[in-house]
Amino acid sequence: MKIPMRWLNEYTKIDLTPEEYARRMIMTGTAVEGWENTCSFTNVVVGKVLTCEMHPDSDHLHVCSVDVGASQPLQIVCGAPNVSAGKLVCCALEGAQLPGGVTIKKGKIRGVESCGMLCSGPELDVPDYVYPHCGNEGIILLNEDFAPGTPVQDVFGLGDDVIEYEILANRPDCLSVWGIARESAAVLNEHFVMPEISFTENGKGKFSDYAKVRVEDTENCPRYCARVITNVKIGPSPKWMKEYLYGAGVRSINNIVDITNFVMLETGHPMHAFDLSKVQGQTIIVRKAHDGEVLKTLDGKEHKLTQEMLVIADEAKATGLAGIMGGEESEIVSDTASVLFECAAFERGNNRVTARTLGIRTESSGRFEKGVCAATCMEALNRACMLVEMLGCGEIVPEAFDNYPAPLPEKVITASADRIRSRIGVDVPTEAMEDILLNLNIDTETDGDMLTCRPPVYRQDIEGEADLSEEVLRMYGYEHIASTLMTGVTMPGFRNEKQSFATDVKKCLVGMGYYEAQSFSFISPSWIDKLDLNADDNRLNLLKIRNPLGEDTSVMRTTLVPSMLNALALNMNRGNAAARLMEVSPVFLPKGEGELPEERQSLIIGMYGDKEDFYTLKQTVICMLARYGLTPDVKAGGDGYYHPGRKAELTLRGGNVLLGQMGEIHPVIAQKFELSGKAYIAEIDMVALKSCKLEVGAVKPLPKFPAVSRDLALVVGEDVPAGELMKCIEKAGGKLLEEITLFDVYRGERLGQNKKSLAFSLSFRSPDHTLTDTEISAAVDKVLSQTAKQYGANLR
Amino acid sequence: MKEKIAEISQRTLEQLRSITDLRSLDDLRVKVLGKKGELTGILRSMGQVAAELRPQIGQWVNEARENIEQAIAESQDRISKLELEKRLEDEKLDVTLPVQARSEGSLHPMSLVLEKLFDIFTGMGFEAVEGPEVEFDHYNFELMNIPKNHPARDAQDTFYVDDNIVLRTHTSPVQARIMTTRKPPIRIVSFGRVYRADEADATHSPVFHQLEGLVIDENITMADLKGTLDTFATRLYGEGVTTRFRPSFFPFTEPSAEVDLTCAACRGKGCRVCKGTGWIEVLGSGMVNPKVLEMCGIDSTKYSGFAFGMGVERLSNLKYNVPDMRYLYENDIRFLKQFRG
Repeated sequence: MKIPMRWLNEYTKIDLTPEEYARRMIMTGTAVEGWENTCSFTNVVVGKVLTCEMHPDSDHLHVCSVDVGASQPLQIVCGAPNVSAGKLVCCALEGAQLPGGVTIKKGKIRGVESCGMLCSGPELDVPDYVYPHCGNEGIILLNEDFAPGTPVQDVFGLGDDVIEYEILANRPDCLSVWGIARESAAVLNEHFVMPEISFTENGKGKFSDYAKVRVEDTENCPRYCARVITNVKIGPSPKWMKEYLYGAGVRSINNIVDITNFVMLETGHPMHAFDLSKVQGQTIIVRKAHDGEVLKTLDGKEHKLTQEMLVIADEAKATGLAGIMGGEESEIVSDTASVLFECAAFERGNNRVTARTLGIRTESSGRFEKGVCAATCMEALNRACMLVEMLGCGEIVPEAFDNYPAPLPEKVITASADRIRSRIGVDVPTEAMEDILLNLNIDTETDGDMLTCRPPVYRQDIEGEADLSEEVLRMYGYEHIASTLMTGVTMPGFRNEKQSFATDVKKCLVGMGYYEAQSFSFISPSWIDKLDLNADDNRLNLLKIRNPLGEDTSVMRTTLVPSMLNALALNMNRGNAAARLMEVSPVFLPKGEGELPEERQSLIIGMYGDKEDFYTLKQTVICMLARYGLTPDVKAGGDGYYHPGRKAELTLRGGNVLLGQMGEIHPVIAQKFELSGKAYIAEIDMVALKSCKLEVGAVKPLPKFPAVSRDLALVVGEDVPAGELMKCIEKAGGKLLEEITLFDVYRGERLGQNKKSLAFSLSFRSPDHTLTDTEISAAVDKVLSQTAKQYGANLR
Repeated sequence: MKEKIAEISQRTLEQLRSITDLRSLDDLRVKVLGKKGELTGILRSMGQVAAELRPQIGQWVNEARENIEQAIAESQDRISKLELEKRLEDEKLDVTLPVQARSEGSLHPMSLVLEKLFDIFTGMGFEAVEGPEVEFDHYNFELMNIPKNHPARDAQDTFYVDDNIVLRTHTSPVQARIMTTRKPPIRIVSFGRVYRADEADATHSPVFHQLEGLVIDENITMADLKGTLDTFATRLYGEGVTTRFRPSFFPFTEPSAEVDLTCAACRGKGCRVCKGTGWIEVLGSGMVNPKVLEMCGIDSTKYSGFAFGMGVERLSNLKYNVPDMRYLYENDIRFLKQFRG
């Protein structure tokens, strides 16, 4: 919200630089976003054109001699068609700074020296509602008689500092000139002086002779005040009013509309003006809309309404959205003769829902959403009448309409000064507290420790002791808060197992060269489509966001795979040679309607690069699991988005616990994700991993007897999985077999087609004696016979 | 005979001096002292020598043998040393040859800061807690004193799943869940992902992380809040970084304070990062609104508390001078490789 300093100074005294004023306001809780001067140029003065001749070398340029109040007139070349001798103009002198970073320099225009520039409205950033004839038709020609050399900002009433405030949600009372002036006065220890509101009811008859008002929904319209103005003379507003409105960022339209805007800015009460002649049956009805009722608002848009929406209607139909926007038909026009002024309070929730549903946001709706105080409606309406009288733009009909069935009750809050002190941790003396509260117009009586407070009606945010604490503290100064640490019961600080485990897994992977990725939890459903899942796959059951930013972020992910593939693709496409990434994040698995989804923590590992293949990924997974004492069963298999021959399922506890899957991405899927090379991923269910992980238990005593090793090279068919052969060896080797290591895989012509030789080193040991050759040979023979029987293995 | 022995002895000692390898040394030893060696030969040929001369010759030979053996032993030492030197010389490496500089990866910068925050707050006795990211409106808003259609909801543009379920806009619902299920004293930090309907740009992300703290006990004051946050500031950014409290408004705290930290880049002198003010706005905090306590079933006349909340990405971006929020969620390895830990 923008407020010109001059406007504030009408009601209080702010005798500070904008910087200092802003600091004082910020440190007491009123956010100041910044300030700017309404004058966005320097060194532009009134000039009088003495002579105006055609440029010798142009058919549209003029060479003028301009009196700028200096000893010598200036020669200026001007291209505007409306320049002529005798006119008063705005002359930018040499060195003048104009909006948009323009600096005026002396120069030659087609060979003729020009020592300045005659300016148009847009060149000075002065709109035509601030000064007439500032449009595009040429340079500004000043109507009144100003002395050459007068600074142009004085002519236009520019040069005021405009402060921009950000008003917090609890202080709707500060969304006005009076509110800010009141707050500034309290902060700066100055007086806030309300204008004396008085006017003469000089119209004929009384309100009810001209109009009727019926409020059918007092819940959503707790107060409705109205006045009739007759003999209206629509015209421009006076200069001072235009200047204030301009400073506040509001466009001047005509006197009646400007009065409603002026009053809204000054008092915080949105107002509306109806052209009475267009109100059917001269009756204003505040009611709920009918389902499907159509209304065309001031902005020319048609809206289909529903029965929850509050409208202002006449006897025929809805003519405006209550507190949001008026209808097109009852708009004030140049021949409007009688006006009904509305100043009402509308319930903020209803207002907000209607505005949101219809997608309309106006200055008025914004204020009602934040809360407009019903108690002060009449005051604002009277201020409008006073302005009508001041501007002489109409006659005020006696009697105001006021429907206010349930006036806001006076609030009495009792508080303990001690409790306030202990809450804020600052030792504010009780008398100082009382002064602060009184200064904020909070009527306060002190009886020992007890404070009895009556906040002013516009401070609806003050509801209890905690609110009073804040008022005291912010005015006393937050800088007085000491810095102490809590006393009381000592509490153990810790992270739970789930959190520590996730960090441990990530750090283990970091140790293996992985970088942690972070990707959005919502994705595009099309990314899931790209995975080509089976129709019954539960990952297709996605939790949808009702109001997403876009399609790409519209569903909660049920798998981390697409996010990882996108990250790998981004790195590939940016020419990064290799990447090892991992992310631990939940996936969101919907349950029933109205229930929260299961958020299941998952780990995804992704990699690509010259040195990466299925086995480097497998190594990562196996090493990581080994950290938790786990050796997974690895079997060929997995989802369809993996390469059919390069994918594996990982299980634990003899296949009873599904841990995840891993593999190379299927080339077709890779293409869909714009992966320009081979990519490898592993998906691990963190919940399964955590539940299976083994802690280090009691240590085993070190062996007393030596181990004996035997190497066996077994020739088997190409399709025999090494893992299964090893399991067979392990079983056949019995208790004495301590360790098996595969140390070579060999393929060669001598082995025959589709054969491979797997070379194992077997280590045997007994806990209670040194093994004999006979014992070892027996074990080896059993290994050979079993592998021969089950896999047709031959000793090479 | 004496001359002969002396000559052998003399010659052998001379030869020993020029031997540089153990093999030649052994050859020489065999040649002189071996079974068929020259000196041994003299003893063998004693039969031809007069018996009375034998002891004398024997003594000469033995003296010569002892001399030679001692010399051989010395040579052996000398040669071993030489050979070791040679081996070490041969094994010399070019230590400037480049190797793979790093085999370790790194946690995400946001996680690095989060880890540090955990250390700081668990050290002060806070328990780290979590809650669902897809959350009931009831916990996210209502219990935080933000009823339906309250303008405070504007400050947190919300993603809705349905009328009652939202993507949490802050980690406060975790606090609400704790307050409604535990009895004071409570001292927790809740953390995790939160969601706001902001388009991603240099300073916004629709997904980001928060860490919020909550303390509820008897006699908790705003000074305790300041003390806690001063400790946090100093431990995260180093000595000389403290907090400045400014009045503000949050529906769930009263009084509320916006908290600035001393600009870590200039230590409060004023620089580009802090726009010359010496302060950086970092977090929101305040004394828990008694209404919130009551809604959660805690006696607000007996207990008071404070709460604070911060964006982890913001802290991380300040700490590492990350110029654009989007860097954090792109996962470009060239960005991630700049971090360690």
